[in-house]
Amino acid sequence: MDVIPSLDLLGGNVVRLLRGDFANVTAYGDPETVLDSLDVPRGSRLHIVDLEASRSGHPVETNIVRRLATRGLRIQAGGGIRSLDDARTWIDAGAEKVVIGTVAADSPEILRAIVDDLGAERVIAAIDVRDGVVRVGGWERDAKASLSEVLARVEELGITETLITDISKDGAMRGPSFALYRSLHTNLRIIASGGVSAISDVVSLGRIANVSGCVIGRALLDRRVDLAETRVRVATTNAIPERVIPCLDVRDGRVVKGVNFVDIRDAGDPVECAMRYEAEGADELVILDISATDANRTTALDTVRRVSESLFIPLTVGGGVRTIEDFRALLRAGADRVAINTAALRNPQLIADCAREFGVQAVVLSCDAKRTGDHFEAMVRSGKESSGVDAVEWCRRAEELGTGEILLTSVDRDGTNSGYDIELLRAVTSVVKIGVIASGGAGSVEHFRDAIEAGGARAVLAASLFHDRRLSIGDVKQFLTSEGIPVRQ
Amino acid sequence: MKTILIDSPVANVANIARALRTSGADLDVTRDPIAIANAQKLVLPGVGSFLAAMQWLKENRIDDAIHDAIKRGASLLGVCVGHQLLFDVSHEMGSTRGLGLIRGEVQKFDGVLPVPQIGWNRVAANGPLFEGVEDGVFYFVNSYAAIDAPDEIARADYGVPFTAAVQRDRVFGVQFHPEKSSAAGLRVLRNFIAWT
Repeated sequence: MDVIPSLDLLGGNVVRLLRGDFANVTAYGDPETVLDSLDVPRGSRLHIVDLEASRSGHPVETNIVRRLATRGLRIQAGGGIRSLDDARTWIDAGAEKVVIGTVAADSPEILRAIVDDLGAERVIAAIDVRDGVVRVGGWERDAKASLSEVLARVEELGITETLITDISKDGAMRGPSFALYRSLHTNLRIIASGGVSAISDVVSLGRIANVSGCVIGRALLDRRVDLAETRVRVATTNAIPERVIPCLDVRDGRVVKGVNFVDIRDAGDPVECAMRYEAEGADELVILDISATDANRTTALDTVRRVSESLFIPLTVGGGVRTIEDFRALLRAGADRVAINTAALRNPQLIADCAREFGVQAVVLSCDAKRTGDHFEAMVRSGKESSGVDAVEWCRRAEELGTGEILLTSVDRDGTNSGYDIELLRAVTSVVKIGVIASGGAGSVEHFRDAIEAGGARAVLAASLFHDRRLSIGDVKQFLTSEGIPVRQ
Repeated sequence: MKTILIDSPVANVANIARALRTSGADLDVTRDPIAIANAQKLVLPGVGSFLAAMQWLKENRIDDAIHDAIKRGASLLGVCVGHQLLFDVSHEMGSTRGLGLIRGEVQKFDGVLPVPQIGWNRVAANGPLFEGVEDGVFYFVNSYAAIDAPDEIARADYGVPFTAAVQRDRVFGVQFHPEKSSAAGLRVLRNFIAWT
């Protein structure tokens, strides 16, 4: 997976246009200074878009490309290349490849002339897509050919790489168009472009067949994504499996289930459930004791003891943990990790104290988040009461205090089977380095994929879906594998 | 043959005892140096800090007992911090000498991924300990690891490649938690118990 930094140039400066609008410009300064600050190493590919050229139809920033090429960067230059002469100008300036957009979609004869003269290996066909339709001329009109026609034509010419931008996603930082890239059937190597705003986006793109690279612009410039870290994450992504975690909601020693934390029904024996889940391939088990806030701790500890004695996978337990002593008692009863929720919101120091006493690996922050206007609020007392604290900010703070992972539950989606709250997941996973377990809303195998792929979750949790046998853990793992997401078999 | 599990207070002994018994071990759990010195098969568990674990071994003369057992031909499996204790040195909180049964040093993960590593990781392994699970996935919880140890028999990658297991003659160590690694972990324990 090639991770390719992208710089848009206008008037000698690095800039960003929001959705291609020249009236909506953010300037980042001189290109060399920008590259130094981003730590782009020699030998790296670099994507350059000459915005003035894309507007005027003639190469403008050739001097910048010439300077950058002397830094050992492998430059692919584009922006308004309308003729063989334009293409030659960029190659003469030191670009390794040219990125051909409008002409590739609308003028096959010019594209052919460029390929014949420069060689197909020096040409990247850039295709801008909005709602499945190819757009040209600075995104201002529809192309004459359809997306599949353009791809077929490009392939026929011997070109091997295509840069595909979903322009509705570009610069909007809401994540790339995974569905678009997955739907493309082509032998071309695809460079994805547009919407990459978190390291997990790059990892997820790399898991899609045919996607061989991605360009990152604004997310790098705004320091939301670190280039070196991204490259390491991408390199290790196939070794470290994503986890599927069944959850047992337990009350008074019995598994129960409820929708939106209310309307509770009895659903079985925790030990039997736990053993079935391990046999099905669960990577971990979570027990949430939903009675514990109000009721009997001894029963809860006994349940944990009985379950832990029947399992050979990690066990995380939460519910009603108020003090370091509650935490210790659960570890002694056999929990590997303990989730803290309400008590930590009331006393954040509890996280730091438990991390110091038992190690960061033993501490899980359980955050129940509820949509309130345009943000998410952290809820207390089993999702019943608002704490007044912003959920995303709270997760970030908990990471600093010393939590090993975050169990992030959407109170709105919990029990609805309508899918995880991807926006909530993205909001948290893009600001913390530790893993996030997605919880609340799973109803289909695609939902699990989306939580990992688009949400950036490192683990996916469900309770009633597995409990009712509407899906098995094996079903989920089989689907994730088919989608290129590594899981433990 | 009896397997002796060293009853370290800085380990989750109950879990590993259960996993060993499930894997077919005829198990005694003890901290008696004489029993340990006379063992033929030993398991050394450990979690938490290297320093605390090593101090406990020394204060209770269990370090000498382990060396005696090895000299008499015992086989040994170190688990997690128990695995790290086998090495010459650990650089956790300054530098602390280990048991010196395995060559090399234990150091902090130096990479961009969050530390501690918490979770499953793919392990590429060979040798009798990993028979049947040469390409297995195991559960890790660690901030420290040996990197590129000369006695390495298994390797994993956490941003940096690290030694997931070692073997030198009759001494084995695994950085992961076999007792939390489901069937793959139990297989490793069974292989150790069956190994002669």
